[in-house]
Amino acid sequence: MVVRAMTPLTIKTNTEDHFIAKLAAIAIVLSIIEFFLPSPIPGVKPGIANIIILYTLVKFNLQTAVWVSLIRVFVSSILVGSLMAPTFFLSLFGAISSLIFLFIFQKLPKKYFSVISLGIIAAFGHILGQFFIARIWVIPHDSIFNLLPLFLISSLIFGVLSGFITDTLLEHKTNRLPN
Amino acid sequence: MKKVLPFIKTVKLGDVLIIFMLMGLIIFIINKSWNTPIGQYLKIEKNNEPPKIISLNQIKEEEIAGLLGDSNISIVDGKARFSKAPCTKKYCIHQGWINKVNQTIVCLPNQITISITDGSESYDSVNY
Repeated sequence: MVVRAMTPLTIKTNTEDHFIAKLAAIAIVLSIIEFFLPSPIPGVKPGIANIIILYTLVKFNLQTAVWVSLIRVFVSSILVGSLMAPTFFLSLFGAISSLIFLFIFQKLPKKYFSVISLGIIAAFGHILGQFFIARIWVIPHDSIFNLLPLFLISSLIFGVLSGFITDTLLEHKTNRLPN
Repeated sequence: MKKVLPFIKTVKLGDVLIIFMLMGLIIFIINKSWNTPIGQYLKIEKNNEPPKIISLNQIKEEEIAGLLGDSNISIVDGKARFSKAPCTKKYCIHQGWINKVNQTIVCLPNQITISITDGSESYDSVNY
């Protein structure tokens, strides 16, 4: 019997991977904090991890934002304990639809549209994706659309807020990523 | 004022446009989804039995035998409600009157569901 020496497994990473990891870590922490925030209406959440996604989109590109967003969804659901539960799929499809909306609208002229527009679009995309999957799979009844205006209003408010916070982050004097 | 200033500086014309467009969309959706039409028929569903559909344009006291006992459903002025129930908590009675399409009252202990329809029933399933 031949005993082979174990060759250490090495994965080559570049600086972009490191940025993705750091940004995803911040996003995960924010979504865990959000999970423990009490909410007056079940389901209405501020979506603070959206700030990190917007920041990544503006600072890097959409591909990096997709990585950060999907890592956030998977890891935060593992930590919270809702992996493969309905909430996980709602969160996943919300994130995917939010990214699709950002993909469509990311080329808005910078002269007339600030990050606030992107924040609102991302929040709206998140809610619409969640409602789509909720209507098809979780609660297959039309009466669920009675809740839609409530969620759209909250997503408008929190979209403006997260867009504004992202803008402040981008404009900040000490605006550099930790190395 | 000093705290509000950076916000005003950040907002651009397109942002205001998007906010107003989405507000319009929200108002449109509220009008559409919170103004359901008034229904003409009441559908009474009981465990393992075909639904019974009766008109709302009558004054009637319907007695339905459920799992625990008799529930009374009263129909007055095109509205319907549970008026008597054998359950302990009487949630179905406290739901009050319903008259709009898709409004539903469920009595879980007695296994009776009433809902308003406009007469156009969709199929449960279609087989070719």
